[in-house]
Amino acid sequence: MTAQPNREGSKSSFTRFLDLSETKLAALLLAPAAILLVLIVVYPVGRLIWTSFFNLSLTSGMPASFAGFENYGLLLKDPIFWQTTKNTLLITVVTVPGALLLGIALALMANLPFERKWPVRLSLLIPWALPLSFAGLIFAWFFHSEYGVVNDVLRRFGLKGIIWFNSEEWAMTAICLTIIWKTSSFMALIILAGLQTIPRSLYEAADVDGAGRVRQFFEITLPLLKPSIIIALIFRTITALQTFDIPYTMTRGGPGSSTATLAMYIHQNTVDFLDLGYGSALAVVMFLLSMAVTMVYLRFIRSTR
Amino acid sequence: MTSVTASPATGFLSGRALRLAVGGILIINGMFPALWILFTSLKGEPELTRKPITWFPDLATTENYLRAFADQPLLLFLFNSFMVALLSTIATLSVSTLAAYALARLNLRFRDLILSAIIAVSTFPLVTLLVPLFEVMRALELLNTWAALVLPYIVLSLPVCTLVLVSFFEGIPRDLENAAMVDGCTRLGALFKVVVPLSAPGVFTAGILAFVNAWDEFLLALSFNSNPALRTLPVGITLYQGEFAFPWPVISAALIVGIVPVAVLIVIFQERVVSGLTSGGIKG
Repeated sequence: MTAQPNREGSKSSFTRFLDLSETKLAALLLAPAAILLVLIVVYPVGRLIWTSFFNLSLTSGMPASFAGFENYGLLLKDPIFWQTTKNTLLITVVTVPGALLLGIALALMANLPFERKWPVRLSLLIPWALPLSFAGLIFAWFFHSEYGVVNDVLRRFGLKGIIWFNSEEWAMTAICLTIIWKTSSFMALIILAGLQTIPRSLYEAADVDGAGRVRQFFEITLPLLKPSIIIALIFRTITALQTFDIPYTMTRGGPGSSTATLAMYIHQNTVDFLDLGYGSALAVVMFLLSMAVTMVYLRFIRSTR
Repeated sequence: MTSVTASPATGFLSGRALRLAVGGILIINGMFPALWILFTSLKGEPELTRKPITWFPDLATTENYLRAFADQPLLLFLFNSFMVALLSTIATLSVSTLAAYALARLNLRFRDLILSAIIAVSTFPLVTLLVPLFEVMRALELLNTWAALVLPYIVLSLPVCTLVLVSFFEGIPRDLENAAMVDGCTRLGALFKVVVPLSAPGVFTAGILAFVNAWDEFLLALSFNSNPALRTLPVGITLYQGEFAFPWPVISAALIVGIVPVAVLIVIFQERVVSGLTSGGIKG
């Protein structure tokens, strides 16, 4: 990684770097990142918007033809577009606050003065490192109607097992619970780091003033955690809008398309149906959704710098 | 001065019993899913369909692991995932080291703007770029190569790695670099001989994050590689599901095989990973 530049071979050309102005050197150092971002993001975004105004379906065998806003018109009348958009927003609205609350709870628990830190740290890191697609498969097995551990626990408490994946409501519940579990540990790690920067003296002073634990939490802990919570929330929101792996591996969007997300619908139109024009129009909608969140994020970064 | 610095939670909250209980809850929350599929992977067919279900396997068997390797080319999936993640890590570190050095050390007029741009551009949802990236990769004749995944994965990890490295580079005294340059090192020489070695923990942290990001990615791996010989692990594992049958013990065994490499990495380098995540915090 720390590849040494070949100084012997190209001494003369290499020493020329000494003469480079700061700006030229900066341009040189930033060039690889810039080229990559242009190739993988900027050009594709332009291309995406362009394609969304064309009829371009690889299965029809027809050449691309300009379609104006036709794809967007189709999209507004497409019930599956509305269904998948609604599902995506529902998942975002449920799992972002859900993961935040669970994350705060986990962080507060992990912040107790344990003699050994590593078991607690690992129990937050392992869910983070687990691939989303693995989590989807594992929890599909968890929620299995006959042999799943969730229904086993329900039955042990004398309740009836639930057939999780046959109805829209229960399937969506299972998906949201899985996403909340999977993403809360990352939230907890960020919040835990914030907790550890709060000076203990603040709590001691509050103790002297006779403030109770609950008041201390709301008047000291929570306000001081605000920056880390906001950062975690914004990243979580951006990734929640892109939800794909967990519903794909748990339900494949079923029953019907009742648990499919916008990302899954884009994938289906692009990779399965090869309808690049329509897939692009769908992607532009999602692009706009996450742009809005990124804007909020940048504004926040600038205000804290 | 030397008053006892009792924790604010003196009394019942700092009690040993409570710490044990809370620690237990945390560990169950974090480990139970992985443990559960470990148990499932060790169960034989008759035990799996027994009701009520058993939690611990009565009779541990390795047959599911043998089937996991026999039913699908699991070793090949592992190899592909490993190579894609390794190449992505090396490439991401190269690109982000250079960029982070420029951002940390050079007098750039638009420093904050460039940093914001790198973050903003890289948080674009990859799924929206599915169509155009597909076209770019096809134009560059990279479809069904590792590069089709490695190039986007660099972008995926670029922001977090750049942020981690900028904060490490900023912590290294400029004097050390200046001394090296007085001794005849060029600026780039100083970067690779002084700054990078001293930032080894940061470079390493960034590397682990890039590796895990690439190891976990599913959507692009699913979409860009139609060639079975190039499938990565997350995609490969979904192939165990038949049209109607879900061989759960075999899937569980394959999942365990897939979890172990990254789990080992995390266990060894846990402190670095936490510090990297919290200084550059990106990825849900």
